[in-house]
Amino acid sequence: MRQSLREYELGTFAFDRAQVMAEVNAGKRADPDARYTLSPPEGGLVVRVHAKVLDGYDAPTSDSEAVFQTALSRDNLWITAKEQEALVAGEVPSALQRRIARFHLVDNTRGEPPMWKTDEIKSMRLVLEDGKLVGAVHLETADGSRGYQAELRGHIKHVGSAITEFELVALGQFFGEGTYTRNAPEGKFPFAVAFKLADGTDVADAVAPQGARGWLDGYIK
Amino acid sequence: MNRWLVVIGFLWVATLNSNLVAGDLTDQKCSELIAELQPGKDAVWRTIPWKLSVLEARAMAVKQDKPIFIWAMDGHPLGCT
Repeated sequence: MRQSLREYELGTFAFDRAQVMAEVNAGKRADPDARYTLSPPEGGLVVRVHAKVLDGYDAPTSDSEAVFQTALSRDNLWITAKEQEALVAGEVPSALQRRIARFHLVDNTRGEPPMWKTDEIKSMRLVLEDGKLVGAVHLETADGSRGYQAELRGHIKHVGSAITEFELVALGQFFGEGTYTRNAPEGKFPFAVAFKLADGTDVADAVAPQGARGWLDGYIK
Repeated sequence: MNRWLVVIGFLWVATLNSNLVAGDLTDQKCSELIAELQPGKDAVWRTIPWKLSVLEARAMAVKQDKPIFIWAMDGHPLGCT
């Protein structure tokens, strides 16, 4: 990288500036792959989702292991315009509850996690009472190798028909791991997921949810 | 007899809750976790003006006469793999 930067500074880096400038000015670009260039639902909400393993690891044996053990994950939850209307009216749509459970109550702190299948939602209850979100969830694979049982709590605030605050926390016991999330703590470990309404100030707010990549309909439905 | 059943039932419920950290999820704990589970604003990588589109980055780079640093990985852009 240093060599390339040096060549760039010296003006000897091999690239056709005029051609690139011409392409940029012409707005020339290939058709993007619609499956991976998703935009948030029009009139909907983007919610930042962070997850963390709170305890349970053995002492790390390397610097990189220590990084994974203390990692804070990041994804985005998309809420549709109709779901926002329902939330303002005091209801938590079942599709939104299912989306939260399947795609966002996952341990993505050590890599890309397996999402939950529909039949792995053993129970999911999330209700709104005077602006407060309260509920509980139980997720578990059929073979009992991975699961998460947690309590849910949070709140929303709205001004007119627009939600101005959305905060939700899942706190409970997780166990198991996925093909790309190896080296989870042994047995059950405390695991939390925090949801907070995005304000658009972070470039990552514009990234599509992992569960929606290549499968927006399946994510939203 | 009924009194003992109530006591035993309470102990069973209490034991279950002690195994679930979720029993501690009060409003205050909720606020603490929301605050705890946020990335630090002082992280150096967050000071970089990242672009999500390489074409958008290229257009900006050529107009500002700057090279592009690409951090690419397969999988989800927000994933940590």
